[in-house]
Amino acid sequence: MPPEDTRRAVRTENLSKIYRQEAEEVQAVRDVSLTIQPGEFAALAGPSGSGKTTLLNLIGGLTRPTHGQVWVGDQELSELPNRALARLRLDQVGFVFQAYNLLPVLTARENAEFPMLLQGVSAPERTRRVDELFARTGMEGLEDRRPGKLSGGQQQRVAVVRAVASRPALVLADEPTANLDSASSDALLDLMDDLNRELGVTFVFATHDARVMDRCRRLVRMMDGGVDSEETPA
Amino acid sequence: MSQSPWARIGMRNLGRHPKRTLLTAMGLAVGFFASVVLVGWSQGLVNQMVENSTSLLGGQLEIHDAEFLPERGLYDTIGGRDGVDLDQLLTRATSDVRVVAAAPRVYAGGLVSSGNSTVAGMLMGVDPEGEVALSRFLDVLTAGRLPRPGQNELVVGTEMARQLETEIGGELVVVAPAADGSMGNDLFTLVGTYRTGLGEIDSAFAVLPVEDLQALVVLSAGRVHEIAVSTQDPWVAEEVAVAVTTAVDGDVLEAEVVPWTELNPALVEYARLASSMYGVILVIVFGLAMFGVANTMLMATYERRREFAVMLAVGTTPWGVVLSVLYEALALGLFALVLGVVMTAPVMIWWHNAPPDLTGLVGEIEMMGSVVSLTMQVEYDVNFAVMTAAALLATAVVAAFYPAVRASRVPPADILSGL
Ligand SMILES: Nc1ncnc2c1ncn2[C@@H]1O[C@H](COP(=O)(O)OP(=O)(O)OP(=O)(O)O)[C@@H](O)[C@H]1O
Ligand SMILES: [Mg+2]
Repeated sequence: MPPEDTRRAVRTENLSKIYRQEAEEVQAVRDVSLTIQPGEFAALAGPSGSGKTTLLNLIGGLTRPTHGQVWVGDQELSELPNRALARLRLDQVGFVFQAYNLLPVLTARENAEFPMLLQGVSAPERTRRVDELFARTGMEGLEDRRPGKLSGGQQQRVAVVRAVASRPALVLADEPTANLDSASSDALLDLMDDLNRELGVTFVFATHDARVMDRCRRLVRMMDGGVDSEETPA
Repeated sequence: MSQSPWARIGMRNLGRHPKRTLLTAMGLAVGFFASVVLVGWSQGLVNQMVENSTSLLGGQLEIHDAEFLPERGLYDTIGGRDGVDLDQLLTRATSDVRVVAAAPRVYAGGLVSSGNSTVAGMLMGVDPEGEVALSRFLDVLTAGRLPRPGQNELVVGTEMARQLETEIGGELVVVAPAADGSMGNDLFTLVGTYRTGLGEIDSAFAVLPVEDLQALVVLSAGRVHEIAVSTQDPWVAEEVAVAVTTAVDGDVLEAEVVPWTELNPALVEYARLASSMYGVILVIVFGLAMFGVANTMLMATYERRREFAVMLAVGTTPWGVVLSVLYEALALGLFALVLGVVMTAPVMIWWHNAPPDLTGLVGEIEMMGSVVSLTMQVEYDVNFAVMTAAALLATAVVAAFYPAVRASRVPPADILSGL
């Protein structure tokens, strides 16, 4: 294996996803070849229906490609059985969705610890990581609240802590700010920016939000399922 | 959080819809109540039948001469013509700790007359005190008192008294073929009446002291037809029969010890049939309850598809999702079991100790040669209660299996993007 291969977080090769509904075919992702390096802070942008979410889900192993291949680290996903995909998501990928990320019956701390618990991380280590990340995110004192007693912005911060605490190779965030007001949005972006710069966590966003696009250091514009253009704004 | 989050998630999910949880749990709890009480009641009835058949008049064991049954011949006394040492035989028959009492009996067929009325009946010679300790039919007389030996006194069933058109103090002529070939006859005074509720007994048995009957039918003092033996528990009768056989052996040649189970095999069959129904009751009751649980769990898991999608997205295996739903069902089952026990225990204790009497509604029922007064008397059966509890928990978990598998097959990508 060439040495530079170990340096990539994600690579896709001619990746396509076609949805068939009755007679109609929708090409949600069209022939995408893309490499994301570790430590990137990248965004997939583009109009509604351009395939951002589908691409993110293909990378995260939530959706299987119709054609092409995806590597996360040096693991190729298209042939992996479901159990192995679950394990890969657990160890290598953190997810942040637009809303309702958290399990309502668990407290903020329990939600944040959930993937680590499945990984078998020891209780003191789980506590240590969550304490540190909660302190960093201004969430101290809210550890024992259930999601219903947290604001939307606080819930998204817990989701980010959960995504990061299990030490994944990358975090995939699909419209993480879409349900937030601008102050909460900025706070969340500050947090992810910090985690990216200080801890080197790799982030890939799918977004419409100009604030997200302004903050990211690589912008992949999508159109009709394909990569339209690339920019490096920052 | 403990090492496996599934139990905690399952338990907490139950608390999200307290009313729905309570309703579903009530379904299982009522199933538990119905099964335990129904079976307890059935066992109560069986016990009452066994109890009546064995302690009303019969004993739980009977010692006879080997020839006595089934003809019940006058000559076939225990020990043959020479008779036995009755005191010694009674001592040996009661030597087993499980034996409560034993008493001798003499039987003879005869005619009882009063004025113009004559009834053919069975004359039964008893030791009045011993009989009260052993059987129940003379415990409470409907009128009068027990006969005293040597006074030519007897008691008859209420039905026989009615047929003879006589009452306490009435004079009765008793005629019976005697062992010496003569015809024994004597004048007796009616001193009491009893009632068992069984027509064939109340109309046919005239009871007098052993000595008086032996004198009437010319049997010597050591000659009796039967030693009736009662035990602590009818269901140990067969084992005790073996012990008693050993104890009296050598003493009495050619005697046989017969437990009630041999005398009344139909009743044993009935008891067996009743207990084979208990499994069927469980299957029916919990089979119905299963649909309720399945419906609730299906609803609950459908509402939470998004949560399962999140769990799967962050790396939970499908089996983890299945487990979380099964734990929820198990927690529901445990809650239902607590409810069920809380509902059932007081009723069982109450109906065991002070059963409501239904005889006012339906009267007494004659069944299998035994009279049953219909009360709500229930018997405890710990084994069956444990079996019912296990059935309840299994029902909850099995009913949740399909909903659990469905939850684990939720497609996370579609559900998470379909906001
Ligand atoms: N499960 C599915 N079945 C059928 N078609 C789908 C499915 N998921 C997505 N699509 C279609 O694929 C195309 C790309 O959808 P996708 O959700 O990836 O776009 P998007 O860029 O994330 O849009 P948005 O900005 O609205 O979130 C759309 O036309 C969509 O209708
Ligand atoms: Mg999208």
